[in-house]
Amino acid sequence: MDTIINGLGAGFAVAFDPFNLMLVLVGCFAGTLIGALPGLGPINGVAILLPIAYGLGLPAESAIILLAGIYYGAEYGGRISSILLNVPGDAGAVFTTLDGNPMAKKGEAGRALSLSALASFFGGTFAVILMSLFGPLLASYAVTFSPSDYVALMVFAFASLASLVGSNAVKTLLAALLGLMLASIGIDANTGVARYTFGIPDILAGIDFLVVVIGLFGMAELIHLVEQQVSGKMKALKIDKSFVSWADMVNVKWAIVRSSFIGFFIGILPGTGASVASAVAYGTEKRISDNNGTFGKGDPRGLAAPEAANNAAAGGAMVPMLTLGIPGSGTTAILLGAFLLFNITPGPAMFTQHPEVAWGLIASMYIGNVALLIINLPLVGIFARMLTIPQKYLTPLIAVLAFIGVYSVVSNPHDLYMIIGLGVMGWLLRKLDFPLAPVILGFVLGGLFEDNLRRALSISAGDWSILVNSPDSIVLYGLAIIVALVPVFLRKKRAKV
Amino acid sequence: MIDRIFAGAVLLVALAYVVLAFTVIGAPFQYDPLGPESWPRIIGSLAVLCCAALIIRPEIEDFSASKQTLLRLAILVGMLCAYAFLFKPLGFIISTTMFSFALSKFLGARVKPAGLFAVSAGVGGYVLCKMILDLNLPSGILKQFL
Repeated sequence: MDTIINGLGAGFAVAFDPFNLMLVLVGCFAGTLIGALPGLGPINGVAILLPIAYGLGLPAESAIILLAGIYYGAEYGGRISSILLNVPGDAGAVFTTLDGNPMAKKGEAGRALSLSALASFFGGTFAVILMSLFGPLLASYAVTFSPSDYVALMVFAFASLASLVGSNAVKTLLAALLGLMLASIGIDANTGVARYTFGIPDILAGIDFLVVVIGLFGMAELIHLVEQQVSGKMKALKIDKSFVSWADMVNVKWAIVRSSFIGFFIGILPGTGASVASAVAYGTEKRISDNNGTFGKGDPRGLAAPEAANNAAAGGAMVPMLTLGIPGSGTTAILLGAFLLFNITPGPAMFTQHPEVAWGLIASMYIGNVALLIINLPLVGIFARMLTIPQKYLTPLIAVLAFIGVYSVVSNPHDLYMIIGLGVMGWLLRKLDFPLAPVILGFVLGGLFEDNLRRALSISAGDWSILVNSPDSIVLYGLAIIVALVPVFLRKKRAKV
Repeated sequence: MIDRIFAGAVLLVALAYVVLAFTVIGAPFQYDPLGPESWPRIIGSLAVLCCAALIIRPEIEDFSASKQTLLRLAILVGMLCAYAFLFKPLGFIISTTMFSFALSKFLGARVKPAGLFAVSAGVGGYVLCKMILDLNLPSGILKQFL
């Protein structure tokens, strides 16, 4: 407990530094803007702005605080386009449209927006509190992990990825493998042997993380936007004077508490972020509370549940990233890459080696959640105006931002072609129902996975049985098998009913 | 069908990846039991298996994009490549203005607003990113004036 209080104290000292405080606000504001733009979600926002944040030459903790603010700010902002436009910014906001948009159509847009802002605030804050309680605990436990335990942890991560993300486990697995294969390009750090570089000097050091992220999540999104472009204007519903009442909050309180729990714990599972969390939370709430069939027709509980869940999941997904070095979602995989750019390896040692970063980030999230609530209640009208930005101007802007980002950091014109190529590949993968988050997870985790496997086998002098030698790893393999089998059982059960 | 074609293409890449892992990659000395070649062999082989599974049991039957959409996307990619080609030699301001004008016009903007938008993206972007935020952007042919 002492370490938590001391850590939080030190964290708030970092987060209340005037410059960092400004970055929290800038991040939250920019994040909400991006989330509110139809078609753009947290993952695209963080991807497009990551190289710019890196290029600014900020200290590590400040850059991470800014990027994290963009991340959960965008989870907040996603509800605005869901409610007013019926267009979710990303998969995590789909369930917000189900009851949020009908409420707005009934002339209760103001009520829907303020209620969902409060639900988001509770979900987000709940997650940060659990994170400050359990994060250090998990980290101090994971310090004892040996390389073979890490291999088991990775197997568990990829098993839950394959089983919970996407519609087709083979496609999810192949997507993750493509990421792992991309990560293996370049000089092998252990032996100095060049792999898959074909004598091209530009890729000896490996394919740049920023290039992969911008390509897969910035450029691919751009191509997708142009493909989907609808002729004619989308019509955003007007915000009226209605506002959330005390009775509303009493009505939704259990929905918020339940959904925050669900969101946080689903967020912790590797690879499953806000999209799975909000789906499960909505489904659960519907089963528990929907006695009159009001869900889907503008029931406040159906709006509060997914909003609390996706913000709690955003916090939950940070926990394994900070404490184990294994990201809990696609966006946290990008944040993990951001840590690596600053030569900080997230993992159990981070809380002791870089406490200012770990605790500064956590403290900034407390502040950020409050700031988001404040800017989202009175200023929601400004963000709502973003909805009317025509695609014809938004689309070129995304391309320009992507180019600025890549060029300002890498300064190599060839990488501009690289992001276009990766963008086309990402668009194609998406078109064929391959989830993109596993690609980036594989890319980020590839080096770590291989290193730990090789270190484990070096320790055992090539004896593979070391992989199942400790109780920790056996438990993790067991969990991996359970996670992999759960969907199979559920499918059988559903087939019977 | 499209799933099969795509999985087939990825299969070829994965096969080439595995073959290289089994033939070309290797360390002159054995530093560790696995060496640089084992990991690519493992993940490459798994990828080959996944592709094979997709070819045997494909999921998506047809590609839901009209010829017209594909043409639009091809033009978009062409514009992006032109932007990438001109980015450094012409400099940020001119290349961005040209690209923003062309793309917003292509997406249906009228000449005047598109021009206004393009100039503000080029000049405003340069002032904000290079002069205020001190990011590295090419000055190009306008170098002596900036």
